[in-house]
Amino acid sequence: MEIYLYLALFSPFVGSMFAALFGASPRTMIAGIVPSLLLFVSFVSSTILLQHILAGGEVVHVEMMTWMETGNLYIPFGFVVDQISVTMMMVVTLVSTIVHVYAIGYMDHDKAFNRFFAWLSAFVFSMMILVMSDNFAGLFIGWEGVGLCSWALIGFWYHKESATWAANEAFIMNRIADLGMLIGIFLVFWNTGTLQYDGAFAAMQGLDIETLTWIGIFLFIGAMGKSAQFPLHTWLADAMEGPTPVSALIHAATMVTAGVYLVVRSNELYALIPNVGLFIASLGAFVAIFAATMALVNRDIKRVIAYSTLSQLGYMFAAAGLGAYWVALFHLMAHAFFKALLFLGGGNVMHAMSNELDPFKMGALGKTMKGTMIMMTLASVALAGIFPLAGFFSKDLILEVAFIDAHYIIYTVLLLTAGLTAFYSFRIIALIFHGEDRHTALGFHPHEAYKFMLVAMSPLLILAIIAGFMFKMPYFEMVTQLLPATEYHVHSATTYWIMTIGTQLFVMLAIFFAYKKYMAPGIKVPDGTSAMENSFKYKLLINQYYIPYFYEEYLVKPYRELSTVLWKQVDMKVVDATVDGIANMLVSTGENTRTMQSGNLSTMLKWMVTGLVALLSLAVVFGLAVKYLDEIKTCLSSLGV
Amino acid sequence: MLDNILSILIFFPAVAGIFGFMIHKDSMRAYGVSVATIEFALSLWLWYSFDSNVSGMQFMEQLPLVESFGINYLLGVDGISLFIVVLASFFTMIGIASLTDTKNVKNMIITLLMLQMTMVGVFVALDAILFYVFWELSLVPMLYIIGAWGGPLRIYASVKFFLYTFAGSLVMLVGMLFMAYFYYQATGVWSFAILDWYRLILPESFQLWLFGAFFIGFAIKVPMFPFHTWLPYAHGQAPTIGSVILAAILLKMGTYAFIRFSLPLFPDASTFFMFPIAIIAIIMIVYTAMVAYAQEDVKQVVAYSSVSHMGVIILGTFALNVEGITGSIFLMIAHGVVSGALFLLVGVIYDRRHTKMMSEFGGLASVMPRYATIFGLMLMASVGMPLTINFVGEFLSLLGFYQQSHILTLLAGTAIIVGAIYMLAAYKKMFFGEVTNEKNKNLPDVSKRELVALIPLSIITIWLGVYPKPVLEPINNSVESIVQLMHDKSITQEAKSRIPNLVQERATSAEEAN
Repeated sequence: MEIYLYLALFSPFVGSMFAALFGASPRTMIAGIVPSLLLFVSFVSSTILLQHILAGGEVVHVEMMTWMETGNLYIPFGFVVDQISVTMMMVVTLVSTIVHVYAIGYMDHDKAFNRFFAWLSAFVFSMMILVMSDNFAGLFIGWEGVGLCSWALIGFWYHKESATWAANEAFIMNRIADLGMLIGIFLVFWNTGTLQYDGAFAAMQGLDIETLTWIGIFLFIGAMGKSAQFPLHTWLADAMEGPTPVSALIHAATMVTAGVYLVVRSNELYALIPNVGLFIASLGAFVAIFAATMALVNRDIKRVIAYSTLSQLGYMFAAAGLGAYWVALFHLMAHAFFKALLFLGGGNVMHAMSNELDPFKMGALGKTMKGTMIMMTLASVALAGIFPLAGFFSKDLILEVAFIDAHYIIYTVLLLTAGLTAFYSFRIIALIFHGEDRHTALGFHPHEAYKFMLVAMSPLLILAIIAGFMFKMPYFEMVTQLLPATEYHVHSATTYWIMTIGTQLFVMLAIFFAYKKYMAPGIKVPDGTSAMENSFKYKLLINQYYIPYFYEEYLVKPYRELSTVLWKQVDMKVVDATVDGIANMLVSTGENTRTMQSGNLSTMLKWMVTGLVALLSLAVVFGLAVKYLDEIKTCLSSLGV
Repeated sequence: MLDNILSILIFFPAVAGIFGFMIHKDSMRAYGVSVATIEFALSLWLWYSFDSNVSGMQFMEQLPLVESFGINYLLGVDGISLFIVVLASFFTMIGIASLTDTKNVKNMIITLLMLQMTMVGVFVALDAILFYVFWELSLVPMLYIIGAWGGPLRIYASVKFFLYTFAGSLVMLVGMLFMAYFYYQATGVWSFAILDWYRLILPESFQLWLFGAFFIGFAIKVPMFPFHTWLPYAHGQAPTIGSVILAAILLKMGTYAFIRFSLPLFPDASTFFMFPIAIIAIIMIVYTAMVAYAQEDVKQVVAYSSVSHMGVIILGTFALNVEGITGSIFLMIAHGVVSGALFLLVGVIYDRRHTKMMSEFGGLASVMPRYATIFGLMLMASVGMPLTINFVGEFLSLLGFYQQSHILTLLAGTAIIVGAIYMLAAYKKMFFGEVTNEKNKNLPDVSKRELVALIPLSIITIWLGVYPKPVLEPINNSVESIVQLMHDKSITQEAKSRIPNLVQERATSAEEAN
């Protein structure tokens, strides 16, 4: 089985290097096809490993070589394929294979086609390291690696100021969280003596709660950055500057779920500190509704989907925080399928509309883009959690978890969010595909995407439909060999049915309302004059609660200004000026005393007399001091010296 | 020949340099490259013959100089100094090989060969006076390089560099004389051999004063805040080759000396001063990173970033445990490679545009893609991306210090944030955006001569990031013996508890294993 592990891990790397070879040459198809094929190899290997694990086989664990070894620290490049990592591997390889194939079509006019595939495959490789590593240091390699690839891909169109700005923002914000992660790793090492998962988690059972709490908090800070949790969330929406396949793969399906993966992987730790878990769940619920509200008004389809991702990540953290790790991982998987599909559909729309992203300028695109419309609608249905699509099985489960554990506030917040989710998802569906034709007047001539792009998307469509009812049981049986196998059943059947049907009705009502409101005739491109647009609520939401503004004004600008002050005022005018001042003092002392040595007889005589007087007076002073030594001593001691 | 390899390593470039005066200036380049290559090959041979399982000194040579005062020509190399020697000869080689069109190229190459002598000498000298001689001699070639080939402010910068570091070294010399005197008082014999000094246990109050004297000399050299202001001038005015050698090797003399002298000679004082020095290190990390962010000149960004990274090295050194010190030595190598490469890269663009102002550039990624790629790699190494050489050192240094203090490590860890801020901002200004400046539209990409230096550096950056073991293992063995020595000879309770006792740890873990 080891060979499949290595194949799954290193195929994307080879693909990336292959594409990188063509980095400086003009666009060639082969730079896209070979990495895609290699990813398919990786996918097949992952499937074989999944089969192996499903059939009850041994966990595959290899140690490739030593990375760092000094003192008591020993870090190998070790990889493990167990029930958790194989789930992640399947999600990562499947979605990335599809996105690669899709991107061959999507990027086919781009000059930097080859560079794109080099980075995209490098991302998959980093992600595979992240999920397959058997220790925290290896996880950190992947963690930083995906950050690097994300930086390069957000800023892929580097001639755009907004893209490079967003790339740097994402990298730096992630770095802030990575510091937390790093400190968490240090804590794990100095308290357990190892960074290997199995050894560390075993040793954690014997640690005191305070230490464990700190470990839990710092590791979660790391997770907050990658998974864009409040208050480190602003980079995710700005990351939509990257090409759409990147948004689908990195900023929806895989990288942003790394934080959830970390919490799930560390379930043995978080099980010991339920208070931190509750905090994670509360923050998750808050982010869920917080992001959903921002999605309500946004006029950029990619940003709406990005906020939706943020909101769904909140759901996952809510589940993981409450100890329902398998539910979190299940929602992660289901979400990866329908969210990637939604993004890729959004990419089709964007292409058709010459990169226009405002849904108010579209309308009635369903006529020309039937395939995309069906896919995006079904993906939204899955996202909204309508039976029997994937979202129903994973998202409703999270609601049930919150309900059964009697966290009614979290439950209510998540339930409300479910309604908001349905509303904003169908708001953009209705605006893009239905209603009146608003785009022709603006000079757009949309066309459907290439056939093979739609074909490439279809596995995601199928999975978004069937992943819930087909996979739930086998997945549960597999993954609970490693994760706590708590089954969540509402005790009374009546409550269960009321809850389920109630939620379904609520969500459907939200969908209906969205369709009704945004398919209505007479929708115009908002121009900032309507009463709604000038209301405080709208302004608050469209400005993302003024958080980016706050960061810019109160963090970025002061940092920049302080830096300049430190350089120009402190470093130049205080620190360096002191050094030069001392040097100048020496020089001027020399200049001023030079006359003493001039050789002029009368000057010399004058100085001789001065010296004589000075020495004589010193002699007198010392003589007196010696004579009255005892008196001086008593005098001084009475002063307390 | 192997018995005298260290002397050969020191004096071969010097002798070759003197013969260089006889070489015609057209063939000087070839001559310089071949001398430096032979020297590098010799240093590789040294590495090859070095037994990495031995923690003590190897290839020792001794020759009495002033017998009545115990001053000897005493050389030796261990895991700590070995790689800096290899790095020094490597950088001299690629420095000469990639030397761009310089006036008086002959004098430049001779100066570089002389500089190489002093660099190797400092790192293999085991006698304090010999160490001091090489330490001071190294200033002279650098003074020439900055003063003769530098920018418009070169005289000011070179004099400042010389006087500042020289003043610090004099205090250090006084410390050395006192140390020898104390040794004489304790044993009745004069000795300047560092290994003899290691055995001397001093009372804590003596240690504190001597530590202070050595500290001033080393701190100016490193340079530590607030003694760092000579560095931006030196880098700003020095020609590319000068900056490369200065950043890659000369700054390491200070941090190396901390590990060679301060820690094993004064373990109690080191423990006593650990927190104050850690705070200075944190100021270095954060403050200079912010100053770097404010710079308009890309070379100054790299110069200040050096100070910031030296802060992490100092922090790792004063972790006083194996993980931290090993990490700091590894980071010395790593910083040498990465900052050397960054200065070379700045030199590449300076040769083309004769300006280093970032506002003059923008959009270079599309004009010079290979240059942008290599710069990007070094940038990522500089911000400590895992699987690059810097990460190993930075990670170990911070990990080591975490054992001593949580909160200070947290503050020092901001290095990974502030480092990313100034580096990414600089990269964005230079490489991203549209090409707006007409002069940048037709810049040639990196040439073959430049690649001669940049490609090996890129390979090392990744190779030692993925597989640091060949370097880490010898360092680790030597550091373990130093840490054990420090633990054994420390006298205060504080030092005993801060500096781990490896023998005991091994014993308990062996018991547990049984």
